[in-house]
Amino acid sequence: MKLAHFVIFLDENLLPNSFMHKNIMYIWSMANSKLYKGSLVTIILKLLNESDKMYGYEITQKVKELTKGELKITEGALYPALHKLEAEGLLEVEVKKVDNRLRKYYKLTEKGSKETVSKLHELQEYIKTMQVLVNPKLSLE
Amino acid sequence: MYDIINMTISQEQIQDLYAFTRQHFVEHYDLQTELVDHLANDIETIWVEQPSLSYLEARDKAFKKFGIFGFMDVVSQRQKAMGKRYNMYLWQEFKKWVTFPKLLITLTIYFGFYTMLSFGIAFYVLVGTYSIIAIWSIYKSIQLNRQFKLRKKKSNKKWMLEEIIFKQAGVSGLLLMSQFPSLHQFSDMMLSSNSMLSLVSLCATLFVLWMYISFELLPNKAEDLLNETYPEFSL
Repeated sequence: MKLAHFVIFLDENLLPNSFMHKNIMYIWSMANSKLYKGSLVTIILKLLNESDKMYGYEITQKVKELTKGELKITEGALYPALHKLEAEGLLEVEVKKVDNRLRKYYKLTEKGSKETVSKLHELQEYIKTMQVLVNPKLSLE
Repeated sequence: MYDIINMTISQEQIQDLYAFTRQHFVEHYDLQTELVDHLANDIETIWVEQPSLSYLEARDKAFKKFGIFGFMDVVSQRQKAMGKRYNMYLWQEFKKWVTFPKLLITLTIYFGFYTMLSFGIAFYVLVGTYSIIAIWSIYKSIQLNRQFKLRKKKSNKKWMLEEIIFKQAGVSGLLLMSQFPSLHQFSDMMLSSNSMLSLVSLCATLFVLWMYISFELLPNKAEDLLNETYPEFSL
């Protein structure tokens, strides 16, 4: 079930406090354990936009560090997303020998840089909509 | 004050990680390399937090993070992405045949089919064309398969795109064989209208091009395509 479906139920006038609390906790745990596919792509693009190039493990560690461990990118989701973006021509790769092994770096292509701008805009719009639903009073101010 | 000694993965352990990925159904060198680096990085991070863990314990801990299906999802998604890349190469090559100067060859094939099919011997023309392509594609499939095995033996590595280039065409050939019984539907009556004749000629032309590109052109360009896809290919 999508996050949006739960957030709609958060209006305190519609539901008793105990039910609301349960739902908030549920969303919290979902946000911690499950990363939504769309957001994952945006996160990867945003991180690569801020640095010249990154490798898979570095991306997982960077997200963990930035979110102080609140958000963890799972290995099983990261690589499929990177390979898909590479196949779509949004990322290009570079391989270097580091220590005693080969390391594959990803960097944005020109098409990828354009896509980053559009994905970030999309996510910001989504967050704005969520704010309206979660906290209607705040959005009116 | 104590110095912090960072434990790092040895060359033997790197080789063990390659073997470990193979045991867990990662057959292709390109994906193995990426996963080996990931596991090695994670093992070294685990050692910083728990230096007392052995290499095998740290390796299993790192592997567990991939979930209960291990590398399976990563492999299947990678195959999907590489299939997409192969189709992109197929499409790039195909586009050359609908622009000058190759467009002239395409038009010649098209009008060749159109003329032959309008003679009232459509069934024989289609069966003849089909049989020639089928025999040629079987011959090419065997040849490409042999080439692929030789390449693998020589380099001791298998690349995912290489496997698709050398084997995908064979799959197309099998698909072609399965369509043989449907040919009898094309009677001369059915091809009496100009629009139907144009459509069948167009399909036959596209089919000939598809076979030629996948069985001949892409395998001939394999080295260039692999170098373009894998920067580590010539390392």
